[in-house]
Amino acid sequence: MPPLLEVDDLHMHFFTRDGVVKAVDGVSFTLEHGQTLGVVGESGSGKSVTALSIMRLIPEPPGKVVKGDIRFKGESILAMSEREQRGLRGNRIAMIFQDPMTSLNPVHRVGRQIAEPLRLHKDMDRKAAWAAAVELLAEVGIPQARERARGYPHEFSGGMRQRAMIAMALACGPDILIADEPTTALDVTIQAQILELMQEIQQRTKSAIILITHDLGVVADMADNILVMYGGKAVEFGAADDVFYRPLHPYTWGLLESLPRHDVDDKGALSPIKGQPPSLINLPPGCSFAPRCAYATRSCGDEQAGLVEMEPGHFSSCRFAGDAGFLAQFENRSSYLSDYAQRDSQ
Amino acid sequence: MTSLLRVDGLTKHFPVSHGVFSSRLGGSVKAVDGISFAIGRGETLGLVGESGCGKSTTGRCINRLHEPSSGSIEFDGTDVRRLRGRRLKAFRRDVQFIFQDPYASLNPRMTFGEIMAEPLVIHGIGSRRERQEQAKDMLKTVGLNPEHIHRYPHEFSGGQRQRVGIARALMLRPKMIICDEPVSALDVSIQAQIINLLEELQEEFGLTYLFIAHDLAVVRHICDRVAVMYLGKIVELGGWREVYNAPHHPYTQSLLSAVPVPDPEKQRQRARIILRGDVPSPVDPPSGCRFHTRCPIAQFPICREQEPPLEGKTGGQMAACHFAKPFPIPEDRMLGGE
Amino acid sequence: MPILGPEGKGRTLRADAWRRLLKNKLAVAGLIWIVLVVIVAVSADLWVPRYLGDPISIDTTTAAERSLQPPSPAHPFGTDQLGRDTASRVIYGARVSLLVGVVAVAIMVMVGLVAGAVAAYYGGWWDAIIMRAADVFFAFPYVLFAIVLLALLGGGVQNVFIAIGILGWPSIARLFRSSILSVKEMEYVDAARAMGAPAWRILARHIMPNAVSPIIVYATMSIGGAILTEAALSYLGMGVQLPSPSWGNMLADAGSFMFSAPWLMIYPGIAIVTTVLAFVLLGDGLRDALDVKLKD
Repeated sequence: MPPLLEVDDLHMHFFTRDGVVKAVDGVSFTLEHGQTLGVVGESGSGKSVTALSIMRLIPEPPGKVVKGDIRFKGESILAMSEREQRGLRGNRIAMIFQDPMTSLNPVHRVGRQIAEPLRLHKDMDRKAAWAAAVELLAEVGIPQARERARGYPHEFSGGMRQRAMIAMALACGPDILIADEPTTALDVTIQAQILELMQEIQQRTKSAIILITHDLGVVADMADNILVMYGGKAVEFGAADDVFYRPLHPYTWGLLESLPRHDVDDKGALSPIKGQPPSLINLPPGCSFAPRCAYATRSCGDEQAGLVEMEPGHFSSCRFAGDAGFLAQFENRSSYLSDYAQRDSQ
Repeated sequence: MTSLLRVDGLTKHFPVSHGVFSSRLGGSVKAVDGISFAIGRGETLGLVGESGCGKSTTGRCINRLHEPSSGSIEFDGTDVRRLRGRRLKAFRRDVQFIFQDPYASLNPRMTFGEIMAEPLVIHGIGSRRERQEQAKDMLKTVGLNPEHIHRYPHEFSGGQRQRVGIARALMLRPKMIICDEPVSALDVSIQAQIINLLEELQEEFGLTYLFIAHDLAVVRHICDRVAVMYLGKIVELGGWREVYNAPHHPYTQSLLSAVPVPDPEKQRQRARIILRGDVPSPVDPPSGCRFHTRCPIAQFPICREQEPPLEGKTGGQMAACHFAKPFPIPEDRMLGGE
Repeated sequence: MPILGPEGKGRTLRADAWRRLLKNKLAVAGLIWIVLVVIVAVSADLWVPRYLGDPISIDTTTAAERSLQPPSPAHPFGTDQLGRDTASRVIYGARVSLLVGVVAVAIMVMVGLVAGAVAAYYGGWWDAIIMRAADVFFAFPYVLFAIVLLALLGGGVQNVFIAIGILGWPSIARLFRSSILSVKEMEYVDAARAMGAPAWRILARHIMPNAVSPIIVYATMSIGGAILTEAALSYLGMGVQLPSPSWGNMLADAGSFMFSAPWLMIYPGIAIVTTVLAFVLLGDGLRDALDVKLKD
């Protein structure tokens, strides 16, 4: 059985007047039913572009998939006609966006926007679609769904708008839900509600979720697997526990290290990653993280192999990740691991 | 430790106005509705809360970017609200501000050098050459190349621009800096750099910070004491250890339990308090205790009718709740220490 | 992602804006045309009367045989019914158009900037009065209002500037006001206040330089608009009076010869269209060049 979604060495570049922006420069992962993949990265890492590429929402030109493939249930999405792709969008693969303020159309009633995918893909008539929309609103926890469906987006709060977006995405019962920073613009207590809702929905429908975020806490909460991206490239992929407790890439180490500690009373200085995120037009040759990497050597400037499986199911793009001596450097410094190791040994 | 800043009963209401000729109708947004706190010399006080709680407005009232509606603000023994003209200007040398958005807080048409020299120019300090020297020194201090004084903000990243914003705030050698979400707009890997920088500078220049933020982990790291705000009021105030390990107020507890912790094992084991509903509007806050509409331990009618004062509870903590008890959150559930 | 400039000299904003402008082919075409027209018009006295003929005086001896000649090497745009060279008249007409364009817009901008700044900065009653006054102007049909004004002031070029200037200030005021209001919200303005900067400094150093770009764009395009308005007014006989040439009055004059001597209408017409279009394209290009998101 082919995986539900397979992204295979995707390279999506933008050809602009200022040069070629290598927004996604080698990303691979697989996703199965009922799984949540957390895609973690900072601004410019290419995580959003990856998601938009899966949805085929990147305008071409200026974008272009220069290499690689995306397969949904074994079939290549890139090879599909525009019509077939539209048939997937909102139907089998749905997306929710970051800013709930702007991703709902302000001049249409909310109920109608939720009904839209139903009318498009399921051929429902207006009445049936509206009724289904009201039900969906209730399912995502909006009280008095019947009245609220008649409302306009500006009458909804941020959290409620995001719920409405989720309802819209779920309308056709998609196999995959892609959520691009769904809670970044929301308050922490509302974020908790939305994440809980997403988990609950996943339990019920067994859909897969691709959750894109820069927040490592959210990812720890939600993800089964994690894909770490930097400078347009995938640098690490594996189960959540593996990535957090036995990271195999200096960037992942750096990120985890730089977070303000929540389990250490002594508040010493943080250990940030030095330097700035790279420009996607002038990416250095070889490993894109090398300029900031505390462990980089000369060979890091050579052509890199991409993600390589270092342990079963755990991939890294760092050429030293297979070397136990190299990994020990991080293990000694991190208190995450000392906890985990202690727990293990008990 | 003598207080450098003392705030008492501060309120700020924004009138909601309509009408062709701007006549006032309607109510007001009670952004800050009576808060009191003090900051000691050299201390860092964190002000946390979600959107609409009034923390940013509080910061801006203290240095009079907004004019407070009522209450008193006392800085280093002086009544800040009474200051005018020259004395107000002198006050501005002592209390500086760091803004959240590194893209919007620097004038895009000025070079770094001009941006940093501006405070000196305004206060008539130094000759042109001296100002340039100081600007270069300060760029170095915040970790940037001094030659960048001739460059423009748009050529740099968010983290670098924020450093310049910090450098600018230091030019007048202030006693206190109000930091309004200084790292929220930055990438995670850069946040740590800026936080370290702020701490180093605090040591080097003997600064006092009012640190306004919504990121609880960052606040915990950098602050000595923490005040939690909700809908214009302070609901909890105390040392960082106490607030994070044994919060008294149910909102604080909910807030702490809502923040996801970057540790999958801990996340799985945590029991979470998920608040229902949305934050009420500051135009029409709930009666009595403002939190009663969402509070997991609210009891009626008292919580709906009587507003609880912010007062001392056990262990020197202050909380505004009729039923506050220290809820030491079990090890595997909290954001705090182990 | 930020694209860092080359090491060394900073990339000034002006250089950046120029670069962007020059990449816009249409805008560059407009700019080149405008420069050409200006050069030709300004230098006219030096060569036009000699090579093409005087635009105004009539040589009665040769007038009859020279009248209504189609375009030829001696007269590239032909001649009019009084034997005058059309090209010469078109070129001198350009002077009028440019003059009106620039001066009228200058008046409009000066009044509009002040009104907009006062309304935005002081707000309250000032804002209300100025904006309602602007609304009153907007309520009237533009050309009609212009005609009435000119009827009151009397015809002639100077009054055309004034009329157009008076009618144009409200657009600039409104635009500038909203530009200022949005710049006022920017944190760097707060930062300046937090440093103790006095109001005049905030206005001069922070608000004005940043609020003024939409005005530059609008003013450029307005020059095109002013030229068009002048042409219309002159066509109606209210602007430049014959025999002085203006593209507008040349069009009016050419009306009766529309079929017998079409060149009398075509060339002034082309002149108007191309010049107005040039200003509009330039303005458009300026908008893109200046209105960059300085954060990428």
